[in-house]
Amino acid sequence: MKKNWGVTAAASCIVFIFLIPLFGALYTSLRTDEAIASGPFVWEFDADWTHYRNALGAAGYDFPSFFRNSIIISLGTVALTILVSFPASYAIVRLGFGGPWLLRLALALRITPAIFFVIPFYKLFTAYNLIDSPVALILANSFINMTLALLVFAGSIREMPIEIEEAAAVDGASIWMTLRRIILPLMGPGLAAVGVLTFLFSWSDYLFAVVLTSSEATPVTVGAANFVTSYGVRWGDISAAVCLSILPPLVFATAAQKYLVKGLSSGAVKG
Amino acid sequence: MTFGKERKIAGWLLSAPLLILLAGLLVWPMYLGFQTSMTHDILSDFETYPVGLENYKNLLMEPNFWSAIRFTLMFAFTASIVELILGFALALMFDRVFPGKKILFSLMLIPIMIAPSLMAVMFRLILNENIGVIPGFLKIIGSSYSIFDQNNIFLSLIVLDVIQFTAFTFLLTYSALQNMPSEIYEAAAIDGANKRQTLFRITMPILKPALAIVFLLRILDSIRTFDSIYILTGGGPGTSTQTVGIYIYKTAFIYGDFGLAASAAIVLVFILAPFMPFIIKQFNLGTERSK
Repeated sequence: MKKNWGVTAAASCIVFIFLIPLFGALYTSLRTDEAIASGPFVWEFDADWTHYRNALGAAGYDFPSFFRNSIIISLGTVALTILVSFPASYAIVRLGFGGPWLLRLALALRITPAIFFVIPFYKLFTAYNLIDSPVALILANSFINMTLALLVFAGSIREMPIEIEEAAAVDGASIWMTLRRIILPLMGPGLAAVGVLTFLFSWSDYLFAVVLTSSEATPVTVGAANFVTSYGVRWGDISAAVCLSILPPLVFATAAQKYLVKGLSSGAVKG
Repeated sequence: MTFGKERKIAGWLLSAPLLILLAGLLVWPMYLGFQTSMTHDILSDFETYPVGLENYKNLLMEPNFWSAIRFTLMFAFTASIVELILGFALALMFDRVFPGKKILFSLMLIPIMIAPSLMAVMFRLILNENIGVIPGFLKIIGSSYSIFDQNNIFLSLIVLDVIQFTAFTFLLTYSALQNMPSEIYEAAAIDGANKRQTLFRITMPILKPALAIVFLLRILDSIRTFDSIYILTGGGPGTSTQTVGIYIYKTAFIYGDFGLAASAAIVLVFILAPFMPFIIKQFNLGTERSK
């Protein structure tokens, strides 16, 4: 068979264009301050890791704590989202809880812009003294991601053959036992899809973070954006910080690419 | 089978965490949102008091709000069309066998994994007049094109949105293409249809519902664009690139008028509300078809 190298070349060009911002940031992060200042194409290439050391604490930025906050918020959101949505999906699909209304509500909520909730959440979390704490961001992000999780879980549960559950019921298994011993072990792909998407979306959140945090709970997205304004000229350090911030979701989502694709195409509504 | 009563109790128990979350983060905040929208709630005035519909009246007479709506719709519509066409074209390209397909597919998906705000920071870097590679490149080829100029900013923002979100339309249209039964193509080939005929007479009509959903999702998502434009332009020059999201954010958290901002958020939801039954229907249709 003839090899389609033409398609490979065309696809490579397009991929290159899409990744120019990333390449630009990587390139700048590895150049010395003098090289950066002398213009983008002054070629003096000798990888220099100073900016990464600076970003990771050598220069006294808060970046390590932004990074820690992002990890806490994202993992917390994944856990809470699954905890809330998985049992409810089973109740909706198999026990007929709430009729079709809960899923419809989920879809309607998914369409409602997050900005709608920003002011009420700000009021709510101020009243409960949760502003600038990771808890507020975990709650806000779980609420936003819950609808996607419900849709993905409901889809996966629906695809399971109901006969297994019926057989278990005949054998006297309770609903709890069925859920724990039969459904849960089969839910691997669904859990992985929800896990990777929720991680990605909560890591990417900027809107809630900029409103609900001020310093203590600031994640990398807000931290990096503030970097640009507060340290205007230190492009090398900024680039290194951004490259580091992109890394965890990139590694995680690439490793779980199969589930990312599955989740996005079955839950299909992005945050 | 288990008894009806046990199922009912189990249903409530299993849904309890969800219902608590909905009560705390949906019902209560929605009440707070409506209440704020009918309150004189300005940061610089210490007292807040109910004002009825005054915020709504002020909002509807606010030219900045309407220009934000206009900009948001124009931006969302243009970006979504370009992303849909480009994403679908790429999906057709990847629907063949070629060397390096797997790795190029993975690389194509990278923009999905990058937070829009971080992407925007990278854009500021590569577009920076003194150190950015794009202005540097333009200088080398002798062009004086200015990316952030009032006349060019719309196009620049569209290009940036396309770079970030085409991966999304690509992925969804690609999975729709994968679900096409191959017999249809074989039958078309036997009947002597050429490539163009197959695409326009067979593939596209069958994929029309899927393409419509992807388009709708992109529009609804880009209507809420906030992070990337806010970080890149802050809504400027002037208020020319202010999305509704940026308008609401600035009104509340920069100018401190929570009442006005809350009423803008509610009006925005009312503008989007007519789409809701439509997308619920479309979406159910879409998931059933893809099985």
